[in-house]
Amino acid sequence: MKDKIQIAISIGLMCVLLTGAIVVQLNTIEKGAQIVGTTYAEQSLKDAVLRWKENYENIYDTLEKTKNELERVRQDTTKENDESAELEEKLSNANKLLGLTELTGTGVIVTLADNDTINMALVGNVNDYVVHDGDLMEVVNELKNAGAEAISINGQRITSITAISCQGTVITVNGEKINSPFIIKAIGNSESLSAISRPGGYIEWLQSKNYVITSIEKSNNVTVEKYNGVISSKYMKNVQ
Amino acid sequence: MIILSIIIGCLIGVILGVFAPTISYVYTDYLAISIVAALDSVFGGIVATLKNNFNFKVFVSGFFGNAILSILLTLLGNKLDVDIYLAAIVVFVGRMFNNLTIIRRHYLEKWEESKNKNQTKTEEQKN
Repeated sequence: MKDKIQIAISIGLMCVLLTGAIVVQLNTIEKGAQIVGTTYAEQSLKDAVLRWKENYENIYDTLEKTKNELERVRQDTTKENDESAELEEKLSNANKLLGLTELTGTGVIVTLADNDTINMALVGNVNDYVVHDGDLMEVVNELKNAGAEAISINGQRITSITAISCQGTVITVNGEKINSPFIIKAIGNSESLSAISRPGGYIEWLQSKNYVITSIEKSNNVTVEKYNGVISSKYMKNVQ
Repeated sequence: MIILSIIIGCLIGVILGVFAPTISYVYTDYLAISIVAALDSVFGGIVATLKNNFNFKVFVSGFFGNAILSILLTLLGNKLDVDIYLAAIVVFVGRMFNNLTIIRRHYLEKWEESKNKNQTKTEEQKN
């Protein structure tokens, strides 16, 4: 009888391990199965993509941690010295303007999205109903004209070296692919920024033709993401 | 008794598994092969119980030994770019089918025996 209890307990424990492992495995695969491949080659490509993505996320986490550490060390060292505190303030101001820090303030959130309510068979040119790089450039330009201090599109900060370009079916900003809907966040005077919907403006033109879906939302609390890349210079030199 | 423990074990396992964090995608190959190894061990354990030669040490060492060996084989296969884990799967699944046959025969024989017994009983009662 004692033997039987021992057998039952050990087999039960193995079943706990087994089913636990199966459920964990199922969850993991489900999480990774958002990209669907049909052939073996696609499958292994998918695996490779997921691996690189994970790798990238891990490294990005480390980078973030190191940046925070650096910031902390910098603040510690400049705490006691007036001169270096002043320098520190200058540095943080410069970083703000360069787009290297996350910023928040009053502003607007402009959304442009592909018009998927239209019937593709009935319209003349489907391209008219899709958001293009030019649309984003016009809107960003109008926002800057209205006094925007910091702008980001789908999490990509518009810096002094940012390019918005068309790459076939996607648009890249800062070299990163972004997709519809495009959420353009801008910090500035929300009254004047929201005036980009003025008659005769670009947004009004888009709306009047019913080309793409647009919305402008004023907010007291817009958070503009920071630029994730590195701003480096190779050719610029100071004039002697 | 053993069936009850299997059911309870499976239920607890599912509950634990749902709340456990998901693992990194890189390790899914290895977990999959160790799941097959563990399944094989559980079948082996059931057969050993039926044959009345269940040994706790053999069972546990077989469970972990098989799982670890198959994971190492998969690792080696990944490095050499040969799907060695297929060999492990063939062995484990083949054994699982063998064990299932033994379990099936055991219970079928038991069932027929009890049927025969009942028949002889009723015949005796009639006589």
